[in-house]
Amino acid sequence: METILEAKDVSKTFVIGDNNQQTILKSINMQMKKGEMVAVMGPSGSGKSTLLYNISGMDRVTSGSVRFNNREISSLSEKNLSNIRLNRMGFIFQDIYLLKNLSIFDNIVLSAYLAKNESRDKINQRALELMKKMGIAELANHDITQASGGQLQRVAICRALINQPDIVFGDEPTGALNSKAAADIMKILAEINEAGTTIMLVTHDVKIAAKTERVFYMLDGNIVGENQLGKYKESNNDSQIREEILSNWLRKMDF
Amino acid sequence: MLIKMLKKDYNRKKSITITLFFFIMLSALLVASGSNMIVELSNSLQTLFTKSNTPHFVQMHAGEINQSEIDAFTSENRHVKSQQTVEMINVGGSNLYLGDSSTPEVSSVMDHYFVRKNDSFDFLLDLESEVIEVDSGEIAVPIYNMQQNNLEIGDNVRVAGEDFEMKFTVVDFVRDAQMNPSIINSKRFVVNEEDFAMLQRNFGESEYLIEFLLTDLDQLTDFRNAYQSSNLPMAGPSVDFPLFQTLNGLTDGIVAVVVILVSLLLILLAILCIRFTLLAAMEEDYREIGIMKAIGIEQNAIKKLYLWKYVIIAAIASITGYLLSLFINPLFTGNIMLYLGTAEKSMLLSVIPILAVSLVFLIVVSYCMLVLRRFNKITVVKALRSGNIGDVQTRVTFLALSKNRLGNINIFLGVKDVFQRFKIYLLLFFVFLVCAFIMIVPINLLRTIQSPSFSTYMGIEQSDIRIDLQLSDDINQDFNNMLDYIENDRDVEQFSPMVTSLYEFINSDRNLEKMAIETGDYSIFSLKYLEGSPPLNENEIALSYLNSSELSKGIGDNLMLILDGDTREMVVSGIFQDVTNGGRTAKAMLPINEEAALWYEVSLNLKPGVSINEKMVEYSNAFYPAKVTDLEGYLTDTFGNTIDQLRLVTILAIMIALFIAVLITALFTRMLIAKDSQQIAVMKSIGFTLNDIRLQYATRTMSVLIIGIILGTIIANTIGEQLVSVFMSLMGASKIEFVIDPMLAYFLFPLLLMITVTITTLRSTASIKNTSIAEMRA
Repeated sequence: METILEAKDVSKTFVIGDNNQQTILKSINMQMKKGEMVAVMGPSGSGKSTLLYNISGMDRVTSGSVRFNNREISSLSEKNLSNIRLNRMGFIFQDIYLLKNLSIFDNIVLSAYLAKNESRDKINQRALELMKKMGIAELANHDITQASGGQLQRVAICRALINQPDIVFGDEPTGALNSKAAADIMKILAEINEAGTTIMLVTHDVKIAAKTERVFYMLDGNIVGENQLGKYKESNNDSQIREEILSNWLRKMDF
Repeated sequence: MLIKMLKKDYNRKKSITITLFFFIMLSALLVASGSNMIVELSNSLQTLFTKSNTPHFVQMHAGEINQSEIDAFTSENRHVKSQQTVEMINVGGSNLYLGDSSTPEVSSVMDHYFVRKNDSFDFLLDLESEVIEVDSGEIAVPIYNMQQNNLEIGDNVRVAGEDFEMKFTVVDFVRDAQMNPSIINSKRFVVNEEDFAMLQRNFGESEYLIEFLLTDLDQLTDFRNAYQSSNLPMAGPSVDFPLFQTLNGLTDGIVAVVVILVSLLLILLAILCIRFTLLAAMEEDYREIGIMKAIGIEQNAIKKLYLWKYVIIAAIASITGYLLSLFINPLFTGNIMLYLGTAEKSMLLSVIPILAVSLVFLIVVSYCMLVLRRFNKITVVKALRSGNIGDVQTRVTFLALSKNRLGNINIFLGVKDVFQRFKIYLLLFFVFLVCAFIMIVPINLLRTIQSPSFSTYMGIEQSDIRIDLQLSDDINQDFNNMLDYIENDRDVEQFSPMVTSLYEFINSDRNLEKMAIETGDYSIFSLKYLEGSPPLNENEIALSYLNSSELSKGIGDNLMLILDGDTREMVVSGIFQDVTNGGRTAKAMLPINEEAALWYEVSLNLKPGVSINEKMVEYSNAFYPAKVTDLEGYLTDTFGNTIDQLRLVTILAIMIALFIAVLITALFTRMLIAKDSQQIAVMKSIGFTLNDIRLQYATRTMSVLIIGIILGTIIANTIGEQLVSVFMSLMGASKIEFVIDPMLAYFLFPLLLMITVTITTLRSTASIKNTSIAEMRA
């Protein structure tokens, strides 16, 4: 299968204070294939989120190479990176990062309007379809303060998908949700992945990671392990087995 | 500990701290300078009036006088302390050459009077405020001419008639308590006794100032009535001590008031900034405040942490402002020092500015305390649970993006934000409004005074050329010759002769009083009347605004005039504005009272294509010694000094407005970006470019600016106009209508403001580059 994202010797160093440097990522190498769904796990401070932001072009790597769709993006201009984020990538965060002064519907269509790839009518139609699929169609004209955390995360997913991206990055997308809502979101993400969108998730929830096909384990800025779980097929039995395998593996990793 | 905290706070919010400091400092500086100016002005006025021993009542008279009659009146009137009659030789502009100029002062509207040193009072002073004494061949020139003609000590002054010439060397400049201000159309030159006699022989025409010093100034009204009901000479206006004070203080008084008003505006801006920053800081620290309260720190102690910062800023800024004012003061008081002279430094001079600056300090600190009262509303539970204080409530569904079909998405988002969170933008809005106001009012006032239609406020009908004929023995002959000449001049389209004479009328106390009334045909040239219409019948009279308010006469009221011993009932047909002749004039169609005539005028319009300048030269020669001016020249001569001062104020106002706009825009944008950093990060994460977001911010400030400019302009043209009218009504013009130069006021200045603000916004949004979701989490 074709590679969609590849990191080679990626490192990231933060300068703290006057002379204090802290290296968060140390020579990371990883690859993702098109249509894959992977998870990155590891203890707090291991560099999971930093990895996600650096290989998605949201932040700049200190050294190394990041290729997305066979194009080096670590040296691209801000403008080109914005364009990639707009048209080719979708993001879902743990915190509800929606624009406060826009309605739920406007939040979803905003980036599509900005991209101007299609007519606004078409965009509106697709947004409604997405909302229906996520079960939040009735919220279209609501203010974001009028929806629950689970509902808002679905709004964020709609927004991430509105421009039909090649890849969706999720930074602890279920971290702030209760287990029922988290399970619902994961189900949706699995469906999206099934439909062909590549997904990369950062999580420390075994149940979430168990639903991906490959899990990276990070420690102190390095990827220290990788577990191939294979495609997840929805059944209670399968879930339990995968969670057990993963848990055992993580125990070995000292998680 | 406190200093450590303040240092840290300063490092965190350098720009806002510096801005606040500047506002408070500037406002302290201006309030100190303005109050210093007022104290200096009143001190200098007092000193000038004391040193020159200014008369309390002066009657100007053109014509013969009988001194023994005046002496008899003086000895009988118990209010008179001392009397003096000053003879003045009126040297026409066409006979006077100032400096190296080879052209005479024909176009000057000023009357040039040559006088000797006075004996007992009304002394003319030099620049050291000493009584002027000159030798033969020497002359002391009025300060007005020193400035207008750039004269220096040692320059020449020439008086030349047809077969007569005298040359003088300038040895001093005249500080004249009576005739200093440019608004007064008479100026006195001091010459030696011998030279005076020589001039007298050659020019013959003398005018007189019949001057009185009273025992008690409070008796002035009684005395004036007594004089006016006597048969003493009064072919000319009468002026008095309070009028001298007003006229001398007017120009600088206005500047001082404007300076203080600007400083009040700055305080207001400082206060708005404090409100904005304090609320932002409280919002930022909301959780911490909750925690401090939770661990038992008293509310007042927490408040003090915030208050101290502003107390220290305000104190340092006030002291710096005051100290700087000591250096700036000469700039403001230069004009006072020149025209009125230096007074001895009084205690008040040091006390009043310090008091004014202390007031600025107190206002700032009190306001901080007022804002900090919001602490009372913060409860521990609320602070810890919500962690966010009253973020402005917005109506999200207002201006929905998906329902809008038009235009650029970034511009739309910018405009939407302004309408949704207008409360946040209030500071910016107010600043822009003020900037527009302080730019437009001075420029409109300047344009108004410069415009020919300003003659409306001088009670002068609008015409191309105006010819003034001063009293002389052959005045009637001269006047008739002049009218014949003009009548036969084919270049003249229309003309209207007017004669101003003194008439008696019965006042409300049933006493006889005199009034200068201009008579003529008022249907030819138009004058804009404040109320009513010009007098077009023989029993109609129009009064100047000051006359109408002092006599309490409105349209339709009656006024009893005495004409040839009979009374005639006149009806007030109109009220006009007039800042000349003390603002007390009238117009009617009456038989000419030649005996009491003060001056003759002819207004005329030329046919299209005829050069006004050439015609003026022709008339000046033909009607010598009449004064020929066009309206613009008349206005520039009269208001030249005021226009210069106003121009300075205008330039200063524009600079201040731009400076404030840049400062507040930069500050506000930075704070807004800090406040909105999360939202900016979100936008960047979904693909908005840096330029997209900057465009949104530029749109926001531009929308606020446009609203501010529109409202500021409306307020400048309404309330600003009224404010100016209030000032001008003191001088006789109660209803100033701005002459607006649309190119300047509605296009160039707003454009200048827009360009400045846009550049500032774009520069201030550069920091957006560093905002990203990745940073948010770090």
